[in-house]
Amino acid sequence: MHSEEDFTALAADLERRFDAGVGTAWTDHDFNALALAAFALQFEGLAPYRGLCEARGRTPATVSRWQDIPAVPATAFKHIDFRVAGVGAPEAVFRTSGTTGGREIRGRHLVPRLSLYRHALLPPFRAHLVGGRDCLPFLSLIPAPADRPDSSLSFMVGAAADALATETQWLVDARGSLDEGGLRSAMRRSAEAGEPVLVLGTSLALLHMVERLEAEAGAPLPAGSRIMETGGFKGAEREISRAELHARLEAATGVPSRMIVSEYGMTELLSQLYEPMLSEGASAVGTYVAPPWLRVRALDPVTLEELPDGAPGLLAFFDLANAGFVCHVLTEDVGTVSAGRVRLSGRATGAEPRGCSLAMDELMSVAR
Amino acid sequence: MTEPRDVPAPEGVADVACALRASRAQLARRSAADVIAALGAAGARFLDPADPLRAEALERLPEASGLSAAMCVAVLDRMAADWTEERLTDLVTAELGGLAALDGFVRAGSRSAMAVGPSLSVQIVAGGVPGVGVTALLRSLVVKGPTLLKPGRGDVVLPLLFARALAGIDPALADALAVVYWPGGSREHEDAALAHADVVTVYGSDETVSEIRARTPVTARLVPYHHRVSVGVVGREALAPSRVERTAAQIAEAVALFDQRGCVSPQVIYVEQGGACAPPEFTERLASALADLEARLPGGPLEVAQASRLHQARGTAELLAATGGGTVRHGHAAPWTVVLEPVAVPLGPTAGRFVRVRPLADATELPGLLAPFGPHLQTVGVAGLVDRLEKIARALGEIGASRVAPFASVAFPPAWWHHDGRGPLLDLVRWVDLEEATASRSAPGPSR
Repeated sequence: MHSEEDFTALAADLERRFDAGVGTAWTDHDFNALALAAFALQFEGLAPYRGLCEARGRTPATVSRWQDIPAVPATAFKHIDFRVAGVGAPEAVFRTSGTTGGREIRGRHLVPRLSLYRHALLPPFRAHLVGGRDCLPFLSLIPAPADRPDSSLSFMVGAAADALATETQWLVDARGSLDEGGLRSAMRRSAEAGEPVLVLGTSLALLHMVERLEAEAGAPLPAGSRIMETGGFKGAEREISRAELHARLEAATGVPSRMIVSEYGMTELLSQLYEPMLSEGASAVGTYVAPPWLRVRALDPVTLEELPDGAPGLLAFFDLANAGFVCHVLTEDVGTVSAGRVRLSGRATGAEPRGCSLAMDELMSVAR
Repeated sequence: MTEPRDVPAPEGVADVACALRASRAQLARRSAADVIAALGAAGARFLDPADPLRAEALERLPEASGLSAAMCVAVLDRMAADWTEERLTDLVTAELGGLAALDGFVRAGSRSAMAVGPSLSVQIVAGGVPGVGVTALLRSLVVKGPTLLKPGRGDVVLPLLFARALAGIDPALADALAVVYWPGGSREHEDAALAHADVVTVYGSDETVSEIRARTPVTARLVPYHHRVSVGVVGREALAPSRVERTAAQIAEAVALFDQRGCVSPQVIYVEQGGACAPPEFTERLASALADLEARLPGGPLEVAQASRLHQARGTAELLAATGGGTVRHGHAAPWTVVLEPVAVPLGPTAGRFVRVRPLADATELPGLLAPFGPHLQTVGVAGLVDRLEKIARALGEIGASRVAPFASVAFPPAWWHHDGRGPLLDLVRWVDLEEATASRSAPGPSR
């Protein structure tokens, strides 16, 4: 029987290892041993997950490779609280904002130990966004954590700001409205001081910013400034291509596209992937790097067998930062994994609904 | 399914619509029997094993529809059986009382009435059940209504082949038919067609139907076939040892036909408790029957999005089953799945052949259970209700179901069915009454 001490010990070990940074690869042996330890805790403490594993004949007694640990579907987070018995009460509840079949279903994500998240998010953030400096001012178009306590993205930016920002301007309120005056004065101050900044925003928020700056130019940001873009245009009514957005960002802020870094993350994963633009330049466009404690595989869409290097499939993530709930997550994202780099090619959704049959959940939601 | 090519410009659609309207005059002069004979001759070609048209249909259907080759044979045989002269005559007779009303006034009592087909019926069909498009175009042509058919993405081949067959048999009649594909929801194409229609038939999601409804000209009649759900109920009598295997096999086939894409395809099976075979055991039998069907009627290959959706739904069901007392059985790479749910659980969209089994204390509870979604209810498959059947069917009809049928015939309704509770030909025709001069009250009475 595992105890809270077992989880605490595992989490503390992971945090120490995360702190070593993203520069050194982990051995397969170490990754596997930690994965199996996390699996044992999750199997024991999560009844639904145990049921799924037993149904598939994959239990801590039979599994010796992390690849064989069953993955949970990402959409299950909409319906199930993955609350592991014996890891303590959740310290935070994050919510996803997704839609399914045209209806909004918000998933919940219980995080038992925020420090594990903090330790996981900082090294990749530092490497891919702060790169080459100790710290710099943040201009955040992502709401402050105090305004959006249920947003894992706001938490991430807040934690990164605490550790890596000389100062932070929160330029968007809880509802997503841009403080245009604040933006302009922050840009002006930065230009006058010649001090580069990090601008953080979702694709949609960056587009809004660009449109305002196109209407009335702002002071160009000093050389060395960079932009983190995340989230695409999920659920938004408008959409422009990445190339167009980046060209317009460059024109409006002076930040060249080689300094615009895409982040790939999801509420269900406590680790994030980034385009290594700062270290590799334009050749990195469209490729994402995971930290060494997150392994990504492309799986055959039908059999879920692991695909060879470079073949497109459904992406599955094994994230040791998720030790407090479920590490292995099968997403609906399609992409390739080649030499450790992940390339996204879209989401496996949006197919026509089947025939003239109503989504069963609508039926089931009333017939109970 | 593959995306069809050859999408015309919207102006091309308008030109086609005008040409179809112009074809009506010659169509109106012909007798219904003559028209039906030509349509039936074209339809019958799909049933003739020696006909190259049938061979071409069966060669092209699997890729175009995403159904397996064996499934395409099964579907074409059953669909085309209703496209013969005899069946089409039966259809007209069932709805209009005979062919005569299509050819002139028919006297009934003191009045005379004539059925006039539309000058142009535009039919917008969604989805991927092969044969639905041909059935739709036949409904219009048998009432002498020229038709512009936009087939569903997975149902393009059969209407095109039918149009070609008809052109070979009766070129003048073929002038009254156009099969034009455009991607579903293309507003420019839809509007170009709608502007010229006097009847608009639309099959699709609630969103599609309400979109088209809003843009249909006020002078045109709308025939809506919106989202429908079908379910099944198994009474205790069908769970007896002598019958349960057959019951499970029939349900499996009803689920599997068209890979469950049809509005008639059952999505949930309610199994009565207290029978010789309890719901968990019935779930296992249904799983075996679906597995067996993979040999005879294999599931079609899933697109990446469908396969992804299936894994998400199966995994979620497995997670929920562990705490809810449920069971999940599936065919791994074969796309069938059975979920026993003592408590209804949300799974999100599914894919493949995905059927849910719900225990039910007594079959008479079903109408009450289904009442909240009556507006979307279509077919209820039944087995083992025996002397309770009529009472339960009546209650189901009152809450919204339009069809109660044995599982063996669930997938293929007869040609004369009240599709979604309507008369599909009556929806297309306009009645013309001919009133005669009535005798004035002050007129002298009979002389003797």
